[in-house]
Order: sequence, then C-alpha cells, then structure tokens
Amino acid sequence: MPEWKPEILRRLAPLNLAPTREAEISDELSQHLEDRYQDLLASGQSEDAAFRTTLDELKSDLLAQGLKSIERNFYREPIVPGNANGNVFEGIVQDVRYAVRMLMKSPGFTAIAVLTLALGIGANTAIFTIVHGVLLRPLPFKDPSKLLMLNESFKSLGFREVGASPPDIAVIERSQKSFTSLGAFQNKGLVVSGGGESEHITAARVSASIFPMLGIQPLLGSTYTEQEDRPGTHVAVLGYGLWQHRYAGRSNIIGQTIELDRNPYTVIGVMPKNFQFPLPGPKYNNEPAELWIPMAFTPNELQGWGDQYNNSVLARLKPGVTFKEAQADAALVTTQIRRVYPPAIAKLFNGVTPAIGLTPLHQAVAGSVETLLLILMGAVGLVLLIACANVATLLLSRAASRSKEIAIRTALGASRVRLIRQMLTEGLVLALAGGVLGILIAFWGTSGLLSLVPSSLALPHSASLGGWVLAFVVTVSCLTAVVFGIAPAFQVSSVQVQGSLQESGRNGTPNRARHRLQGFFVTAEFALAVILLISAGLLIRSFSKLVETSPGFRSDHLLTMSVPLSFEGYSKAAQIRQFYQQAIERIARLPGLKSVAASNDLPLESEDHEILQVEGRLSSTPGMTVTWTLGDYFSTMGIPLIEGRVFTPEDRIGSQPVAVINEEAAKLLWPGTDALGKRLGHPFPNMMRAVVGIVGDVNDGPLGSKPGPHFYLPYFQLPADYIVYNNVIIPINVVVRTSTEPASLTSPVVAQIRSLDPQLAVTNIRTMDQEMASSVAAPKFNTFVLGLFAFLALFLAAIGIYGVLAYSVAQQSHEIGIRMALGAQRRDVMQLILIQGARLALGGLAIGTLAALGLTRMMSSLLYSINASDPLTFAAVATVLLAVALLACYIPARRATRVDPIIALRYE
Amino acid sequence: MDPILSQTKWKKGSAEMLILSLIEARPRHGYEISKLIEQRSGGAVHFHVASLYPLLYRLERRGWIQGRWVEKADQRRRRYYRLTRQGRRILAAQLREWREFVAGINCITETENA
Repeated sequence: MPEWKPEILRRLAPLNLAPTREAEISDELSQHLEDRYQDLLASGQSEDAAFRTTLDELKSDLLAQGLKSIERNFYREPIVPGNANGNVFEGIVQDVRYAVRMLMKSPGFTAIAVLTLALGIGANTAIFTIVHGVLLRPLPFKDPSKLLMLNESFKSLGFREVGASPPDIAVIERSQKSFTSLGAFQNKGLVVSGGGESEHITAARVSASIFPMLGIQPLLGSTYTEQEDRPGTHVAVLGYGLWQHRYAGRSNIIGQTIELDRNPYTVIGVMPKNFQFPLPGPKYNNEPAELWIPMAFTPNELQGWGDQYNNSVLARLKPGVTFKEAQADAALVTTQIRRVYPPAIAKLFNGVTPAIGLTPLHQAVAGSVETLLLILMGAVGLVLLIACANVATLLLSRAASRSKEIAIRTALGASRVRLIRQMLTEGLVLALAGGVLGILIAFWGTSGLLSLVPSSLALPHSASLGGWVLAFVVTVSCLTAVVFGIAPAFQVSSVQVQGSLQESGRNGTPNRARHRLQGFFVTAEFALAVILLISAGLLIRSFSKLVETSPGFRSDHLLTMSVPLSFEGYSKAAQIRQFYQQAIERIARLPGLKSVAASNDLPLESEDHEILQVEGRLSSTPGMTVTWTLGDYFSTMGIPLIEGRVFTPEDRIGSQPVAVINEEAAKLLWPGTDALGKRLGHPFPNMMRAVVGIVGDVNDGPLGSKPGPHFYLPYFQLPADYIVYNNVIIPINVVVRTSTEPASLTSPVVAQIRSLDPQLAVTNIRTMDQEMASSVAAPKFNTFVLGLFAFLALFLAAIGIYGVLAYSVAQQSHEIGIRMALGAQRRDVMQLILIQGARLALGGLAIGTLAALGLTRMMSSLLYSINASDPLTFAAVATVLLAVALLACYIPARRATRVDPIIALRYE
Repeated sequence: MDPILSQTKWKKGSAEMLILSLIEARPRHGYEISKLIEQRSGGAVHFHVASLYPLLYRLERRGWIQGRWVEKADQRRRRYYRLTRQGRRILAAQLREWREFVAGINCITETENA
C-alpha cells in the first residue's frame, strides 16, 4: 500500500502550519487518496497506473496555493497547548480564554483575588480622582500657569504671610515690570435686600482687571471696566447660583437695580455656572463669591499705610518673564514701598517694611492640602501593594495544585516563556476584573469621601471619573498584574516535570521555594500594614489629644451669631453703640438664658492681629489679637479671670481707658513683673490703656494652635473712628450662654434683634460646640480616611497570613499526622502552626516599624502634641497587629489539631 | 441587480453550491462528495484533491459546513461534513438565484427558437 502522507506533507511544508493542524489535513487527504487509489484498482488499473493517477490529484503546487489563504492565521491550537511557534502575540486570545476558564474553575479563589484587587485599585482610584482634581488638573482659567498671588510679610514681627495693604498695592502697580496685569480682591459679606427676604451673601470686591486676567467671559452682560472700578460707581456682577435662586435666572436682570447693604447697585453681568472666584485654598479671601463688586479703593483706604492687610493680589506674568525674574522685580518694588512709607509707620514697624512674596496661584490654592493628599496617595499605594502581595500568595498556593497541569504542558513542549506568559495573562485578567470592580468602588468611594470633606479643607466637593482617571486605573491594573503575577509565574514555570508527575497529589513534599516566597510576601504585607497602622495610630492619638485640649473657654451652652450693621443705616458711632446696647439688653430678658455678651471676634476664628505700643518703650509689640467686648463677655464665654478685674458698665467713653490682657501677653510683654497697672494701646491715635485684669489664654486660631497674646478692651470706650472705619462697621457677634439646649434659643434671640431693625440680616448662627467641631473637622477627616485605609491594610494582611497558614496546614497534614501518631499533643501542633505565623508577623512588624520611623516624619505637620515616633503608638500598633495575626493563625492552627493521623496517613 | 455581476458571482459560487447541496440531506466525507459530483455529472465535473479540500476548508471557515471526525466499526476514521444552519440558508438563497438565472436564460432561448 502506497504511503500518501509524506507526499502530502511535502506539499504542505511551505505553509508552515501548526503541527496538529498539519497532521489533521494530511490524515484527511491521505484517506481521500487511499479511497481513490482503491477505486482505481477496482476499476482494473494496474497498481502503478493507479498510484500515478492518484498522486496527480495533488497537482503539486495547487494544494498549497489553495490552502494558503484559508489556513493562514486560521488554525487555533487546542486548549492545553504544547509548543507555540510563530510570533509572540500568537495565541494571546487563546491565553485569555484559557485564563478565564481556569479562573472560572476556582470561583472562590477568583472572587477573593478580584475583591482584594478591587479594594486596592478602588481605593487608589478614589484618591487619585481627588488628587487629579486638586493637584494635577490646571485651574479653570486662561493660561493658569502664568497666574501668581502676591502677599506681603513682616517676618521679624511674626507675620509670615499677610495680604496686601491698599497703599502698597498702589506702589506695586506703579513700579512693577513683570506682570501684564495685576488686581486685588477681598471677600466681603453683603446683605442683599429688596424683592424677598434680606439675605446675607458671600461677595467679593474685585479689581476690574481680574476678570480679563482670568480670561472668563460673563454669561450675560459684561463685567466692569477700569473706569467703573472707582468709589461711588455702584455696579455688580452676579454669580450663576445667586442669579438662579434669587432672580429665577431672568435674563432681563441686566440693567436692573438691586439693593446691597441698602445701597442701589446696577446689575451689569452674570458669570457662567462653573465660574468660581476667589478660589478656596489660600489663607485669606478664600470663599467663592456669589456676587462681585468693584474693588474701588477709597482715598482713605489708599492712605491707610501699615493697615488693612486683608487684600489678596493676583497678577499675570508677562510672556517670557520667569518666576525668578518676577521675584527679583518684587524685591525692587519692596525698596520702592520702603521709600514712600510715612516715617511714623516705619518707626512703629521698627524700620521693618513689608517684603513682597510671590506664589503660583495653583500652589496657593492646592498647597494647604498637598501634604495630606500625598500622604493619602502613599497610603493607598501601600494598600494596593498589600493587595498585590495577597494575590501573589494566593496564586502561589494555587500553583501547588496546578503543578501537575504545568508539568503536563511542559511535557507537551510548552516553553517556559509561554508558561510565564500564560500565568501573567491570568494575572492580567484578574487585575482587569479587579479594575472594573475597583472603578465601581471608587465611584461610590469618591463621592462618599468627598461628602465628608469639611469646608475648612480646600478639597472639591465633587470630582468626576474622567479619561485621566480611567487611564490611571488601566495602568495601575496592568502594573498590578505584573507585580503580583511575576513571582508566581517564574516560580510555577520552574516546576520539575518528572517530580511533579510522580508526586502523589497534594500530599507531596511542599515546595520549599514556594514556601519561602509566600513567607516573603506575607512578611512584606505585614511590614506595609505596620507603616499604615502607625501613621493612622499617630493621627488618632493626635486627634484624641486635640479634642481633649481645652480651648481656654467653656464651649458648651453657647450660642453665637453675627449681627452686621451697614453704614447706610447706621452712619454714626453713637447710633451703633446704642443699637448693640439695646440688643444686649433685650436679649438678656429672654428666659432660659444665663448671660449675654458681644464682641468683634470669637475664639477659634480670630484672624486680625494688630501691633500695639507699650508705654515708654521704643519697640512695638508682636501682633496681638484685639477683641472689643460688650456686656459680661468673660463670664459668658467662661474665660477665667486670673488677676485684677474684668470690664464693668462704668468702663465707657470718658472714664479711664482700660484693657484686659491674657497670661501669654503678660508673660511676653512684662516677663517677671506684674502687668497690672501697666499701659499699652494703639499708637494711632495715641490711646494708652491701663491693664486692669489678666485672663486665661484662649485659642484664637483653630483648636490646637498655640494661644497668642490677646488684648481685650471695652467696646464702649472705642473712639468713633474705630467703630465706623472707612465707612465700614466692624460686625459684632452676639454670644449667649443658655441654661437649656443653646440652639433652642435661636429664634427668640433673632426675634429680639429683628425687633430693633426688621431689615437686619442675622448671619452665621451656630453654637460654640459646632464651632469646636468644625475647628477639628479637618484633622478628624484626615484621621478617618487614613484610619480607614489602615484598617483595610490590616484586614488584607490578616487574610494574607490566614491564607498562607491554611495552605501550609493543608500541605503539612501528612507531617502533622505522623507527629500526632508519634504522640504529639494537640497543644504542640497548635504551637507549631502559631509559631510559624508569629514568625512571619514579627518579621513584618520589625521591618515595618523601622520603615515607619523613617516615613512618619513626613506627617509631622499633621500631628498635634505628639512626636512622629511616639512610642505609645508604636507599641499599641505592635500589639494590635500581633493580636490580629495570631487570631488569623488560630483558625488554621485549630484545623491542624483536628488532623486525624489515620486519615492523614491513608492518603500516602 | 446588475446581470453581469450576478453571473460572475454565480460562477464562483456554483462549486460551493454543488457541495452544499450534496451534503444537504446527510453528512458526507470528502471523497464521497467528489465521487458523487463526478458520477452525477456523468464525468463532466471533476474535483481533484487540490481544489476540493481548500474549498471545503473555506466553507467550514465561513461556518457554512462543519467537519467532524467519525469512527465507524470496521472503517477507517473519516471526516464527515454536515450543513450548518447558516449553510442551509446560504444554499437556499443560491438555489433561488440559480433558478432565476436559468429561467432568464430559458426565456431568451425559447423566444429565439420559437
């Protein structure tokens, strides 16, 4: 019988088919030729003739030609491939299908791995979304990288960064050479009235140059011109939100007159929906306004040397001018300012004039949260690494049960590269599945997290998962796959064929290398978790210290509200004094109220510092908080009197000017001597006051900040030009100490104030406890978020150590069986497993603690009153971690004690 | 439809149509198909190996037919081809076109010869 196959194979050779396919075709064709040959013989042909006729059917080249176009790229290798030839990308689809099938075969493993990765990737995506929104995305203005903020500073007086004073701004405007434009802005509270209830809104005085500088066109109408940016021109630009809610989005609002602080203003424009200015983030003037009016510095303001450092200045760099050159220019401008400073002011400042500092706008906006975001980014990065290590140990455990499969594939000719590729593909499929689920987690996580963001943190309240974020997820997922896939892949692909095939299932000798690798991963997980736990622990300790801190006053049962008067209704100091006097008297009559007082500022939120003069001294004081008080301020606030007396109703205009200072001021100004009877005060106009009392220190800034020197004086001794300053009446806060729940007195108190002036807008109503809570809201948020990630890390690490020990117990059941057969007690077995686990956890703990010692220093700025290497925190974390590790080990250890020697040995 | 285009298509498709119609009733192996074509055409049409199998593989690739190795007692392993659902649809369409074409030819020739 003739051999057809060699003839066929020779003709198929040029096609370079996959071997299995080639064999299949030659099988089928040789069958055909044989049939044909037999038929020809049957029809009476000679063997020779029949052979030639049959062979003729192959038509030499025709077969190869006919098959060429069909077979190219057509044939798919069967699953469980042998050798892959051809290029690297061949069979990728097959790898993916195979990977999906293998993963579906062990749903438990797949679910845990995908969930673990989803948590890691989800946490990273959520934080990246926020980081992208705050740190990476350019500000929504024209050419934002050219925008700078200018500030003044008096470093030697302790003012590291203040705003700019109007006369200084004028000098800067005249003499600078680096900017195409420059403008000032200032947050301002305004009362909108007319057409509905009076409403207090956040507005801003803004120079005309700011709008074109930002490059944002109004939605309707126009913004104002330089000519309109003059005192007396009453024009206003509405924000989209105010336009919608107060004016129902009517387009005929342009040209209409609205009432601001009882003055008529003409609406000339409406800004687009997403326009936000001033931006949150910088220290001052950081509240997005609902309405903008011209800056229009008054002549008085422009003469206010050494005063009113409450203006922010924005400038746009000239094309080609670098930041450095602008800084050098600013130094020149500083000398200009020094030259024109009135000598009296220069003397007060001890010859120190302001220095001008520049900060890129983006940095000014994002700088306050940069550290926090970077720490969070690092924290979620660690969580992801832990997740990776977890999945890697899971893959390694799984590899044990797959060593036979690998061995068979190797025996069939699969190359090592091909096996590694297959393993990496499985990793990639897992990671991408984790990525998809992670996006969902991130989607909920981001909005959940941002809804918790306190207003004192300059973080956005919403963020979108855009293209960048998706790109981030895909990249992270792929990197993740490589990170957790590579070690198991190499490990698995080095399986010894013969050994594995001979090994009797899972009772075979555990692979030492695999064990070591798993141990490494678990140790690494614990080390990473330790870093996170210590960071979170430090924040928690710091936070608990912070909330235990006494602010220096009693915050319970205190209700406060701001009662601003406008110059248009109250232009005379006498009128204003009388109003507040009457308000306090009327409120005092309410039931459920212990005492009532008022002041220009309140603890925890005093921003203004003033430089005072001590009688008989040449040098001035450092910046002091100055509080004007009405009524029984100290007892209402619960600020203890240390020495001397507090103010009485007799301290009024005409009586001896008096002051009360805090202990810090006494210590600072008159160290070692009694401050009572000493005199200090404002130098312009020269008004020296005798210190009659010393009270306890109060936190002026946020809770936890160091109390500074404080200067209290009675409101009713204030000269008229302090009460009304540049046509602005400094708003006064009413403080009420109640005997019942403080918020319940809100309406009665407001009603009493409104009974004096129905048009008045009472704003900022809150209890002092709320104020305390919002003062610690930012550290609370930091603590919560980092704590959440640390918990996640601990949880993942616990799963990791549990998985490894459970696997190890399963592997060693044979050995445990022998030990128990030889008389080992359950306790010994339990100990054996627990020691295994403890060794891994302790290794991780040691490495993690060392790393944490180095890394936690980064977060010093977020800590209050504890050291970044606080031993108590480190010890507590070590305890918690070991406890969790032992708990995670306990379950497999118990399982080990239940090993029945007979059953364990029977498998052999 | 453009008549010339339709004819070219038909010529190309005729070999396919022959194979499809032969396995419409039951699955057949390659040699059986080639033998049947030769027999039924009275020897006028003959597919040799080099053209038959590329055609079969192409049809299989398109999903019109499906080949399967079958082992029967006392017989060697053979690959049988059966018509898929899609193949059945294609065959019906091709037969319809074919009949329309023949009818068209007949109309012309009958008028000329009348």
